[in-house]
Amino acid sequence: MLDEADVRDVLDAALGTGGEWAEVYAERRDATSISIDDHRIEELTSGRDQGAGVRVVKGQQAAYAYTNVLTRQSLLDAARAAAASLQGQQMVSVVDLTRVVAPITHAVLRTPSSVSKAEKVAAARAAEEAAWSVGSDVRQVAASYSDVVQRVFLANSLGHLSDETRTRTRLVCQVVAARDGIVQTGFEGPGGSLGAELLDLYPPATVGRAAAERAVRLLDSVPSPAGEMTVVLNAGGGGVLFHEACGHGLEADSIVKNTTVYSKRKGSQVGSTLVNGVDDATVVNAWGSFGFDDEGAPAQRTVLFDAGVQTGEMSDRISAARLGVPSSGNGRRQSYAHLPIPRMTNSYILPGESDPAAILADVKHGLYAEGLGGGEVNPATGDFVFGITEAYLIENGELTRRVRGANLIGNGPQALSLIDAVGSDFDSKEGMCGKDGQWVPVGLGTPTLRIAKLTVGGTE
Amino acid sequence: MSELLSLAAGVAARAESGEDVEAFAIHSVSNSVSVFEQEIEKLSSSETRGLGVRVVRAGRLGFASTSDLSAEGLAFALGEARSNAELATQDVGNVLPAPSPVTELPGIYIAGLDGVPMARKVELALALERSTTGRDARVRGVDNAAYGDQLTRAAIASSRGVSAEYERTDAYAWVSALARDGEETQTGLGLTQGRAFDELDIEAAAVEAVKRSTRLLGARKAATAKVPVVFDPLVTASFLGVLASPLTAEAVQKGRSLFADKVGRHVAASSLSLVDDGRLLAGPAAAPFDDEGVPTRRTEMISGGVLNGFLHNTQTAARAEGDQQSTGNASRAGYKSSPGISPSNLFFDGETTPAVAIVASIDDGLYVQDVSGIHSGANPVSGEFSVGATGMWIRGGELAEPVREVTVSSTIVDILTAITLLGDDRRFFPFGGALAGATMLIAEMTVGGA
Repeated sequence: MLDEADVRDVLDAALGTGGEWAEVYAERRDATSISIDDHRIEELTSGRDQGAGVRVVKGQQAAYAYTNVLTRQSLLDAARAAAASLQGQQMVSVVDLTRVVAPITHAVLRTPSSVSKAEKVAAARAAEEAAWSVGSDVRQVAASYSDVVQRVFLANSLGHLSDETRTRTRLVCQVVAARDGIVQTGFEGPGGSLGAELLDLYPPATVGRAAAERAVRLLDSVPSPAGEMTVVLNAGGGGVLFHEACGHGLEADSIVKNTTVYSKRKGSQVGSTLVNGVDDATVVNAWGSFGFDDEGAPAQRTVLFDAGVQTGEMSDRISAARLGVPSSGNGRRQSYAHLPIPRMTNSYILPGESDPAAILADVKHGLYAEGLGGGEVNPATGDFVFGITEAYLIENGELTRRVRGANLIGNGPQALSLIDAVGSDFDSKEGMCGKDGQWVPVGLGTPTLRIAKLTVGGTE
Repeated sequence: MSELLSLAAGVAARAESGEDVEAFAIHSVSNSVSVFEQEIEKLSSSETRGLGVRVVRAGRLGFASTSDLSAEGLAFALGEARSNAELATQDVGNVLPAPSPVTELPGIYIAGLDGVPMARKVELALALERSTTGRDARVRGVDNAAYGDQLTRAAIASSRGVSAEYERTDAYAWVSALARDGEETQTGLGLTQGRAFDELDIEAAAVEAVKRSTRLLGARKAATAKVPVVFDPLVTASFLGVLASPLTAEAVQKGRSLFADKVGRHVAASSLSLVDDGRLLAGPAAAPFDDEGVPTRRTEMISGGVLNGFLHNTQTAARAEGDQQSTGNASRAGYKSSPGISPSNLFFDGETTPAVAIVASIDDGLYVQDVSGIHSGANPVSGEFSVGATGMWIRGGELAEPVREVTVSSTIVDILTAITLLGDDRRFFPFGGALAGATMLIAEMTVGGA
């Protein structure tokens, strides 16, 4: 994307005022997005966006300048603009750039450019029509297909040079169902670091039908009871909880600022011994995966909890330097217009040994939750509240009534310590995570989990 | 004609017979710096350009954007927009606006922003932090202090004959003060904005941040009560943010607005008007035309408490019954998106009362300084409104003890109907759109406490 000799000169200009290291990040993004709402194609757009940013770092300070005019002169101007934040003399020079190969590649079978737009529209249509076909209780259907091919070029004054192409494809269907004044929603949104083969792995009609059936199913439910009880989360269902209530607290910028409940707990037993948690950017073709992070660190698997002991954190270069450790490869950014910050990739609780059916059979009275909705977490205390999208009462080991309007109320570290069964199954979901105004794709995954007791907030 | 407008005109000129083509181009230069403990924490400078193309053929609309403004990049965007149009749904709303005469708005651009060296901008942020921490022993620091500015150039051209462009400058600085007493920490925002670097008043911003943070120290929970509630200008602006979406024709046409069936009816106090004015110079969003080239104007959505209508772009106007015209509220999130609808400069209008007299008129009530959870707590479809609040109790016409962790609740229409006094201290806040708040009195709300 950029000429290597130019990049070297740009890095050199960036270091002219005393920066410890400098970086050039250039990106080109080709995206297609199709959204259908209320039977109508609301949006059919294509975008090509390219740009580059130059960062100069000294200690914990970062100066950044970016442009989407990719000429030698614009990049040199950006380098000087970033360098202007420091007033010193040049301290270091640029190390010879060496091209590095990513430790992992995410093979794409059907690249977005090889697939006709008509086929992409048809995929969104198929999901939409399958959702409507579920019945007259379905009141609103929105379906969308999106793909993006992102080419990332990275070079820094420490000698790193890499080039990577990331491809992501996603299909989303959202359904509103209503009957007798009760309104419920259903959502399915599979995606991955792959091309249009996603549509073979997740046939659009199946996705649309699943979203609509969930929304309609929830109409036949009774208000949830409230109180403290055993809670079983289905495979994949606990992913949001692990991400929000544990993952964010283990991002190194929060740890450095001592603003989270996990800040001072490294090395101690936080979860039960059944809990093994990782953040893993190397999962092949997963939504949150890549070859290099957005600072050029290779994709890694970071163990966050080993048999319940808090063992690691997710860092970018700046926060890692502050902690005196190497970057864990979690420096991510939304685009060339943003500075990288520590972010999750695919954060998973790993499968255990229990038979999922047996986990349920042991519960006398409890709640079985299939997927969590939105929530709020207080990072300083770890206290959380999450809405549950679909839940059932467990009575004497059996799922009985379907309930709605339930919340889970608890505390992150405490909930981890109360996990008393971990299933041998596993499932993951895809999401977009927002932090400091930047959105990045993340994977969320868990096996079936049982939490011995948790407060269920309900309306009855 | 500027380079940007000729770029857009060049794309529009390539329309083939049977189609209309529009090109919207943006060139933006911005700088920002945030400081903490007298060191630069983050500094960012940018210059970006890009162009979005809409093609309409036989009632089908396609969109594509590019930041590659070479001949090849522009041809790519036009080709993509064309092929997207072929697959789109036919709709009566898929039309490009006809040209209308645009009256310039020269006051939105003040030359010289790019001539101010970055070092002076950094020094302004540092001075703002020093001024904030040096005023009151209880202010132990800041969360951060920041400066930002932006120069925007926009140009639009279409095969229907639209051809217009403008330049606008914005500068702002803000600080979040941290006041401490023992274990307790309270934050307070101070803000200053203008069109030029020299218009910023950092002393005023520092004074404001210090006042807002320190007066909350010692906050306690309050008892549950139904009382008069006074909204701080910032809270009024947040409340206007809740009204922004349901007052667009897009929300109405999709069945997502509580105002959908209320045109011609009383929805607010009879002394109150709600105005959107894209030509108001004091408003950050002022511009001579909207993001599809339609001249901006003043629109009263509510006059004397009665709902007149909604904000439109060309698409929703064409879909509406009768001879509805666009109100000049087409809005894009930069060159990468096709136009939706949003307010320009939004504010309440009507007879005003000195802000101090509003508090003085209350014997027992709550002054709300900040609200939280407004996105989940205010429902623009059902109209329910219940948010977290911090502020001060009002006793005998004076601000008394601070309160925290209370909720204030009502419904959106009940709040609008109960606005009995509007303050004379209207000012714009650049967060979440260009929303102007003034102190205002809501005759009664439920305050939920311990």
